[in-house]
Amino acid sequence: MSDERKISERYRELAREEPPRHLDDAILAASRRETRSRPAPLVVPSGRRRWYFPVAAAAIIVLAVAVTVHVERDEQNFEVAEAPVSAPTPAAPAVQSAPPAPPAAKEQAARKKEGFTPDPAAGSRQAPSQAESAPALSDLYKKPAPPPDETSNRARAKARADAEQAQAREETRAAAPTPARAASDRLASAAAVASPEQWLQGIADLRRQGRHEEADRQLAEFRKRYPDYRIPDAILGTMEKR
Amino acid sequence: MLAYGQGDAGAFETLYRRHRGPLYRFVLRAIKQRSAAEELFQEVWIRVIESRSRYAPQARFTTWLYTIAHNLLVDHWRKKGLSLVSLDAEDVPLDSANPARQVEARESLARLLDILEKLPAAQREAFLMHQEAGLSVAEIAAATGSNEEAAKSRLRYAMAKLKAALDE
Repeated sequence: MSDERKISERYRELAREEPPRHLDDAILAASRRETRSRPAPLVVPSGRRRWYFPVAAAAIIVLAVAVTVHVERDEQNFEVAEAPVSAPTPAAPAVQSAPPAPPAAKEQAARKKEGFTPDPAAGSRQAPSQAESAPALSDLYKKPAPPPDETSNRARAKARADAEQAQAREETRAAAPTPARAASDRLASAAAVASPEQWLQGIADLRRQGRHEEADRQLAEFRKRYPDYRIPDAILGTMEKR
Repeated sequence: MLAYGQGDAGAFETLYRRHRGPLYRFVLRAIKQRSAAEELFQEVWIRVIESRSRYAPQARFTTWLYTIAHNLLVDHWRKKGLSLVSLDAEDVPLDSANPARQVEARESLARLLDILEKLPAAQREAFLMHQEAGLSVAEIAAATGSNEEAAKSRLRYAMAKLKAALDE
């Protein structure tokens, strides 16, 4: 043991050579280059695990590409399904030079902004209902009046038919038209299209003019046409037979 | 080394400063040619740098470092047509032809170095690993890819010859 220590001590007395400066610089520079150029992995792979990371990376890339292609195809299909919906919109330019985008298109644009991919089936389900509603919308632009509901339509058709019948009776009964009869005819034709209040107002006017016979006839006609209509007392007083 | 493996360049510098002298002397006294020794020394550190992402601490860093140096030394000897292991049991005779020089150099440190240079390569390597890097017999065995008995034997032979040279 002491021999070994003695030898070690003698050995330590030898010159303590050091590597030259240029070697130090070259090696340290190489070490710094290595850390800059290639960051070390978080988990050091070894053995069979060495293949896990490249295979996992390749799988992720393939999956990402497949999903991207799939999404693009879906978007194209959705646009094709959407085309019939947007077709009726050119009817609007007849009224407006720059029509606003239809709600479906706006929704689609918003979905695209959010990166949302609509279900193609949902798009095709939505399309027919919009296609049905779109022509009605264009009709609204064409017609001056709002579409009447079903009951008023029926009443108006009946009034028109009754007015025609009354007119026919008048024509057969009177050989030559008088100014009073002409007014009565106008009233009858007006009654065919006017509201009950307007009709009653016309009858009241006839009373004021002293054309009681005509007024009575119109009132009877009114009762026939609107049997359940309750004439206000104030108005009734002006049109009842004197 | 793990810190360097995670990108800490300063960690490598700390390691290098700690091991540069002993490793350089180890290589220089194993090869004896300064230019070849410098080349080999640099190559050892380049291997360390390149292995940073694969480094797994299965042993002391010093043992790992001298394992790399040993492998490069073996390559060096092989290129020179020499074998590190075959010289294991072979005794290179001391310069007995010039006893006067022996006497003159006995007191000098150059004598020790001379004896060291004439040791069989494997014994010299074991001795240098022990003296410069402070490796134990087991670590010398691990670094040189031999068993502990062989490492112990090489170290013992080297010590005995050096002692004999110093005692003369």
